Amino acid sequence: MLKKEQNDYLCQTGPGTPMGNLFRCYWMPALLSEELPENDCPPVRVKLLGERLLAFRDSEGKLGLIDEFCAHRGVSLWFGRNEDCGLRCPYHGWKYDVNGQCVDVPSEPAESGYAKKIKLKSYPLIDQGGVLWTYMGDPEKQPPLPEFEFSTVPLNQTFTTKRIQECNWLQAMEGGIDSSHVSFLHRGDLSNDPLFKGAAGNKYNMQDLSPVFEVVESDGGLLIGARRNAEDNQYYWRITPWVMPCYTGVPPRGDHPIHGHFWVPIDDESCWAWSYDYHPTRALTETEVAAMKDGKGVHVKYVPGTYRPLANKDNDYLMNRAAQKAGKTFSGIEGIGMQDASLQESMGPICDRTKENLVGTDNGIIMARHRLMRAARALADKGTVPPGVNPEHHKVRQAALLLPRDVQYKDGAKEALVARKGVRQTSV
Amino acid sequence: MQSESARMTTAREASYRVQYPNSKPRAVKVIALDPASARIVDEISKKSWNGAAFFTAPSFTTEETPGATGSGLKAWLKDLAGRTMDLVSEIEHCDFAVVITTAGTDARAVSVIADACALYHKSLVGLVVPGTDDSDAAVTQSMKHLRPYTRMLVIASGTDYIEAMLTALRA
Ligand code: FES
Ligand SMILES: [Fe+2]
Repeated sequence: MLKKEQNDYLCQTGPGTPMGNLFRCYWMPALLSEELPENDCPPVRVKLLGERLLAFRDSEGKLGLIDEFCAHRGVSLWFGRNEDCGLRCPYHGWKYDVNGQCVDVPSEPAESGYAKKIKLKSYPLIDQGGVLWTYMGDPEKQPPLPEFEFSTVPLNQTFTTKRIQECNWLQAMEGGIDSSHVSFLHRGDLSNDPLFKGAAGNKYNMQDLSPVFEVVESDGGLLIGARRNAEDNQYYWRITPWVMPCYTGVPPRGDHPIHGHFWVPIDDESCWAWSYDYHPTRALTETEVAAMKDGKGVHVKYVPGTYRPLANKDNDYLMNRAAQKAGKTFSGIEGIGMQDASLQESMGPICDRTKENLVGTDNGIIMARHRLMRAARALADKGTVPPGVNPEHHKVRQAALLLPRDVQYKDGAKEALVARKGVRQTSV
Repeated sequence: MQSESARMTTAREASYRVQYPNSKPRAVKVIALDPASARIVDEISKKSWNGAAFFTAPSFTTEETPGATGSGLKAWLKDLAGRTMDLVSEIEHCDFAVVITTAGTDARAVSVIADACALYHKSLVGLVVPGTDDSDAAVTQSMKHLRPYTRMLVIASGTDYIEAMLTALRA
C-alpha cells in the first residue's frame, strides 16, 4: 500500500518532479538505432519523461535529440527537411543543427547574428548496442556512458526490441521484479516458448510451485532471489537484478540468450517496455533471432509499421477464452510480454496503490519503491548521486544456479552475478 | 466500436473504481530477536499502527519437555512494556509474523517462533538490518539463522526499511 502522495511522487516523472529529476540523472534508451537508419533520414518524434522531442541524424551521421517545436512559431519539426547538416522548418525555413542551435533564419541577414541567439533544448544521443541512448539531465553532471552487458557485447550477440505500454512506468516495472507471478501468469510458456523450453532448470520451477524469496540490497539496486528445492540438499536459485531506476533482468534458462527489460516513462500514462536478449559469449543463432522477430520470449508481434503490440487494448489483447479454459494460457492472452502488459494496463493508466493489500512475498516491490523514494529525496535534499548512475552498477547479471542449502546466494553466486567479458552466463 | 479493454482503461473509467475498504486490519506480530533490534522496534512501536503488536524475544524455554515442538511448545515473548506473553497464543491469533534482527547478532530465537508459525500455518517474514558489525560475514551469519524458516527474507541497508515495510503491509 502507498499513500496517495507517495504514489504520485513515484509515478510522476515530468520536468521538475522529484522522480523526474531522479530519472534525469541516468542514460536511458530513447530509440532503436533502426529508427534512424541512415544520414538525412526522416526525423522521429520521441516523447520521454513528459517532454516532446524530435530525434534526427544529420548529413554527417551526427545524432540529435531536440525540442520538437520550432522556436519561430511553434510548428512541429517532424515536418522538417533533413538537409545539409540540419533540420529545416518547412514553415519559414528556420534551420537547426543536432545540438538544437539555430543556424539559419532566412528572413534575417546572416551577418546580423540573429540565428545565434536561438537555441532549442537538446540532449545528447549516442548509439550503443543497437539502442540510441539519451541523458536528459544537467549537462555538467552527465555521467559516463552506460555499460549494461546487453548493449556492450558485439552486435551479433544481442537483439533489442521495444513496445509501447499504455500505463504508468512503475506498474510496468514492478512486474519485472515481481517474481511470484511467474508460476501463475506465465506457467504455460516455460515448456512451449522456443526461447525458454528445454532448460534443465525448468523442472525445478514445475516441481516446486511455492518458491521462497530473499531480497538483498545491492549498490545499484536490488537482487531478488527465488529459491526452490532441488536434489542433493541443494536449492535451485533464480536471481533477478534490478538496477535503479528501471532496469530489470530475467534469470536465464539453460543456454538460451539472457533477457530483460528497461521501463522508460514516456509520460505519466505510458511507457516504453524495452526488451533485450543477448548471449555473453556467442552470436545469436538465426533460429533465435527469427523467434525474437516473431514475438517469442519477451518480445511481441507488432501492428505493422509501429511499435504497438498487435495484441492491444483495442482488440481486447486477442483474448482467447478457449485457450484459457484449456489451460494453454493462464490468462487467455498469448505471449509473455502481452500477458504482463495486458494485466498492467488493466490496472488503469496510473495504478491506485492506496487499495493494494501486499503480502510478505511482495517485499521486492516494497523495497524498490522505498529505494526510489529514498534516492529521489536524497537527490532533492543533498544532491546525492543516486544508485545506478555509476556504470559499475550496470555490470550485473541475472543468474540461475544450484547451491548447497547452507550457502547464502550473495556469497555463493557472487561471481555469477557479475557481467564478465568472455564468460558465459551461469545458468541451468 | 471501441473494445471493452480500451474503454475501461482510461483515467475517466479508473475514477469509477468502487470506493470502500477492501480488507480488514491484519494482526501482525513484529518480534525483535536481539537487543539492538529491540531498541529500533521500540521506537517504531510508538507510531500509530493498524493492528501490529511489537515484541522482543528475550528468552525461550521449552518448559518441562526441552526441545518440544507442536502442541507441547511453550515459549514466551515480552511485549514492550515488559510483560511476558505466550508466544504460541500470540502467533495463533495473528495473520502473519515478522522477525527482525541486526546483522551478526544471535538470531537463533527465530526457530521457536518459526515452530509456532508452522503449527498455525502463519507465514514468517525475516528482516536483517545493519548493526554495529556491517561485514558480509555478519549478514551471512544472520541469514543462515533465518533462512530455514522464512518465506521472505530481506536484507535492508537501513533500519528505515522496517517502518516502510510495515506501512506497505498495512501492519
Ligand atoms: S492476484 Fe495479484 S493482482 Fe490479483
Ligand atoms: Fe511477467
